[in-house]
Amino acid sequence: MNWWDDALHRATAEVVLVGALAGLIGVQVVLRRLSFFTMALTHATFPGVVAAAIIGVNIYLGGVAAGAIIALGVAALGRRAGQNAAAATGVMIAGGFALGAGLVATQSGFSRDLSSFLVGSILTVSPRDLLVTAVALVVVAAILLAGARPLLHTGFDPAGARAAGFAAGRWDIVLLLTIEVVVVTVVPAVGTILALALVVAPAAAARLWSARLSVITALAVTFGVLSGLGGLYASSRWNVAAGASITLTATAILALSTVLSRVVRGRGPASLGSPAAPA
Amino acid sequence: MGDAALRYAGVSLGYHGTPVLTDVELTLAGGQRLALVGPNGAGKSTLIKSVLGLVPVLGGTATVLGGAPAGARHRTGYVPQTGSLDADFPVTAAQVVMMGRYRRIGWWRPTRAVDRRAVREALDRVGLADRAGTHFGILSGGQRQRVLLARALAAEPELLLLDEPFNGVDAVSQEAVVRVLRELGAAGTALVLSTHDLTVARELADQVCLLNGRQWAIGPPAAALTGDILRRAYGGHAVDVGDGRTVLVEP
Repeated sequence: MNWWDDALHRATAEVVLVGALAGLIGVQVVLRRLSFFTMALTHATFPGVVAAAIIGVNIYLGGVAAGAIIALGVAALGRRAGQNAAAATGVMIAGGFALGAGLVATQSGFSRDLSSFLVGSILTVSPRDLLVTAVALVVVAAILLAGARPLLHTGFDPAGARAAGFAAGRWDIVLLLTIEVVVVTVVPAVGTILALALVVAPAAAARLWSARLSVITALAVTFGVLSGLGGLYASSRWNVAAGASITLTATAILALSTVLSRVVRGRGPASLGSPAAPA
Repeated sequence: MGDAALRYAGVSLGYHGTPVLTDVELTLAGGQRLALVGPNGAGKSTLIKSVLGLVPVLGGTATVLGGAPAGARHRTGYVPQTGSLDADFPVTAAQVVMMGRYRRIGWWRPTRAVDRRAVREALDRVGLADRAGTHFGILSGGQRQRVLLARALAAEPELLLLDEPFNGVDAVSQEAVVRVLRELGAAGTALVLSTHDLTVARELADQVCLLNGRQWAIGPPAAALTGDILRRAYGGHAVDVGDGRTVLVEP
C-alpha cells in the first residue's frame, strides 16, 4: 500500500503544509493589521466555494474569484480618503456569509456538506489537495521572498516607500491577493470560517516573542505547523472535528504566549520592543 | 552641474484638479538650504510631495534636478514625519537605514559590503552607531528622526527633503540633525525642510519660502520673515514680541 493511500497520512502532510503556509502569510497579516480584512476574505470565500460546488466547477477557482473581488474592493476603498473601510468590510463579512448560507439553502440535500466548507474536512483531503497546498506554499514563499524589501518598506513606511519609487498600492494588491490564495488553499483542511484563526494566531503569538522579522517568521511557521499537528492529534485522540481542534490549538498557543511572554519579559531585558496588538 | 536643484515657475499644486497651493516661484541651487514656513495646512507637505512627483502640478513648470519631478526620485532623499511610520513594525535601526540603499541594491540581490558600510557610516554621522541593532519602536522621537535622516544619507541624495524634522525632537537630537544638515549643505547637497518654527528657519536656512495657500514671500530669512509679511500671511496669528522679533500664536 502506498503511504499516501492512508487518510491519516494525507491529513498529517496537509496540516504541516497548511500550518507553514498560514504562519508565513500570517506575519504580513498581523504586522499590517489586516486581520479584519482577512476575516472579510474568509467570509467572501464561503459563498464562492459553495457556488462553485453547486455549478460543479473547481472550488478553489470559486473561492479565489469571490475573494479576489473582495480584495480588490477593499484595496479600492482604502485608496479613497474618508471612506469608512471598516464599516464596509464589516458589512461584507455578514453579506458574504448570508450569501453562502442562502446558496446552500437553495440546494436540497446539500446541507450535509455545509460544515465541510465552514470548518474543513481534513480526513477527506485528496492527493490533489495536497499537491495544490504544496504548490501554493512554494509560490507564496517565493512571492514573500522576492518582495521582502518592498513589502518591508511599504509596510513600515508607505510614504517613504512611495517617495523612494516603490509602487505601494501595487504591492498592497499583490499582498491582498496572496492572502486570498492562502485562505482558499487552507479551506479543505480547516474551512473558510476557521481559516482566520490559523492565519492570525500563530503570527500574533510569534510577534509576542520577538521584534525581529526573521525570528517572528520562523516562530509563526513553527506555531502554525504545531497547531496543525496538535489539532490533528487531539482530533483523532478524542474524536472531535479536526478543523475545530486545529483552531483551538492555535488559539491556545496564542493565549499561552500572551501569558508566558509577559512573564519572561518581566524578568529579562526589555529588548523585545512593543508588541503589536494581535487585532 | 549647471542645473538648479529646484526650479519652480508659477506653479500651482493640488488634488483632483483643485489647487491647494498656488504662485510658487523659487530656485534652489546645490548646497543651498530652503525652509518652507507656514501654519498647519499651508501647503508645506504638498510642496515637498510635488518635488517627489507625488502631487500633480496643475499649472506652471516644476523642474527637479534638471528634469520632471518623478524622474528625479532616485537622486532625491526624503525624510517623512516620524508620526507617519508604523513604530510597532519589527525593524531595527540598521534595517531602516538599509532601506535607503534598496534602490541601489534592487529587490532581491543580497546586500553588498559597500551597502553595509554606507549604513554604518550614516548611523555614525547622526550619532547612533551604537543603536544599529535596536528596535526602531523603542527609540525616542528624536532618535527615530535621526535614524530616518541616516536612511536618507545612506541613499546619497543630491537633493534632500525633510518634512517637519524638528517636531517632537529633543535638544540633543535637534543639535545632531542641524549639524548634519549644515555638513550636507557644505558638501553641495540641496536641502528643503518644512517647519513652523521661525527660529529654526532663521538660523538654518539661506532662503525662506513663506506659504499659506499661496506663496507669500521668498528670500533670505531677514527679508522674507518680517513682521509685516508674517501678519499678512498668517492673519492675526503673528504677534510682535519686541526687538524686531515676531512669533506665531496658534489660534
